[in-house]
Amino acid sequence: MSLLQQIKNKVRSKSIHVTFVDVGSCNGCDIEVLACLAPRYDIEQYGIYVHNNPREADILLVMGVMTPQWEDKLRILWNKIPDPKVAIAVGNCPISGCVFNRRESYVDPPVSKHIPIAAEVPGCPPRPTEILNAILSLAPVVFRDYEEKMK
Amino acid sequence: MKKLVDVSIPIGPVHPCWKEPVRIKCETSGERVLSAEVELGYMKKGIEKIMRGRPWQEVMFLAERVCGICSVIHNMVFIEAMEEISGISLPPRAAYLRVIVNELDRMQSHLIANFSYCYTIEHETLAMYLLDVREQVLDQLERVTGARINTAYMIPGGVRFDLMEEDSGALRTALREIETGVKRYMKMFSSGPLISLRSRGIAVFSREDAIKARVVGPTARASGIPESDLRSRHPTYIKLGFQPVWREEGDNFARVMVRFDEILQSIDLIQKALDTLPEGDIRGGGICKAGETAYSGEAPRGELRYFIKTDEYGRVVDITIQTPSIMNIEACTHSMLKGVTSLADVTSTFISADPCIACMER
Repeated sequence: MSLLQQIKNKVRSKSIHVTFVDVGSCNGCDIEVLACLAPRYDIEQYGIYVHNNPREADILLVMGVMTPQWEDKLRILWNKIPDPKVAIAVGNCPISGCVFNRRESYVDPPVSKHIPIAAEVPGCPPRPTEILNAILSLAPVVFRDYEEKMK
Repeated sequence: MKKLVDVSIPIGPVHPCWKEPVRIKCETSGERVLSAEVELGYMKKGIEKIMRGRPWQEVMFLAERVCGICSVIHNMVFIEAMEEISGISLPPRAAYLRVIVNELDRMQSHLIANFSYCYTIEHETLAMYLLDVREQVLDQLERVTGARINTAYMIPGGVRFDLMEEDSGALRTALREIETGVKRYMKMFSSGPLISLRSRGIAVFSREDAIKARVVGPTARASGIPESDLRSRHPTYIKLGFQPVWREEGDNFARVMVRFDEILQSIDLIQKALDTLPEGDIRGGGICKAGETAYSGEAPRGELRYFIKTDEYGRVVDITIQTPSIMNIEACTHSMLKGVTSLADVTSTFISADPCIACMER
């Protein structure tokens, strides 16, 4: 492994930037992601920073059932995120549509039809610890030796 | 011809300050906002369309998922409307337990609203303190109902779980701790000079404008309309001696302080309910019948109204939900934001009206 790769691994393990996008959820998952910021869970002690700028993000948290308004916009947002990047579906809604996936509703789940989803956190809504666990277990798998793997 | 509008600035739909997608278009002259308009439709799921033709047992869980922040009140208003249609009476213990859970939910909703406001005016320390208190409130909600967000605690004719003696003791202890915390942060908020500069006198919303715009909830009470609180007409709250809190300034500071006051008031109400909690059953039972009604309740953001029509098997034939946020957001964009002197205040003013987009678009 090259020295450059080693430095990149070291840096990336302690600075994971997260952005979240709500594509039509009921707010339940949003506030559970917000609760991760709280001093009790303290997402920043693991080197994870939440801010809603896709251009400096590494991980995209997707919540919600995919309403028609988001069909083109989510793809645009995903393309703005620089590589290496990964998307996590939080909650039942982006996975299956949960209670909204019925006849006559306007929604179009799952989200994996529109962008590649690497991990899913089921639950309605999942607990903050589960969301944290998903981010922490996925990040080393994706970001370690990224350039070596791409060769 | 003199150009009035320098530039029109769109804010959103993905913005660090909002948790939900909404877009505000501000027409500005320099930094002064001349007019603003809100663009909605990013969250429309058609939940009322799904609800139609389904039995109440399913609609009950759907009603809860209209909004994740104030899920308990959606459950409560739907169930109480069904009880009104079918003439189901409620055991007194269940009525008090409903008030306890509803007030816990209101506390966590107000705490997250004030967290968002502090986060928006860049006072992150206070915001994190408030989020920490909110976790304690959620612990108590979990202790009573068994779930953090979507509790499904109320059913026609009663509630699901009884409150055990040891749980009520733990609840009292936790409430005392929460009260000390909230009082401390309230003092920090009201005495901070920089917070005051960012909040006092910003986006003043007078009583006349508030009546004209028909705002509801804490936004109305901050502009001096105490009668907007529907809890003063609810039978259980009347028994507990409920008096609404209100202020007259109508600025961002008043809106946040009204929410702080309501948290303390909720703690008082829960303690009073625990003191006078009657013994007896928690489930009376009953059958949902055919009928039609309109029922309102006081959600954390204002008046929530359900129009329900059922058939003889308890199926929901027709349902319309009127949520509080739509009035507050319209009033915010058309009246409060007009004349705001800085673009930085646009986000904080919008957050101070406590918008809930998921609730509003359903």
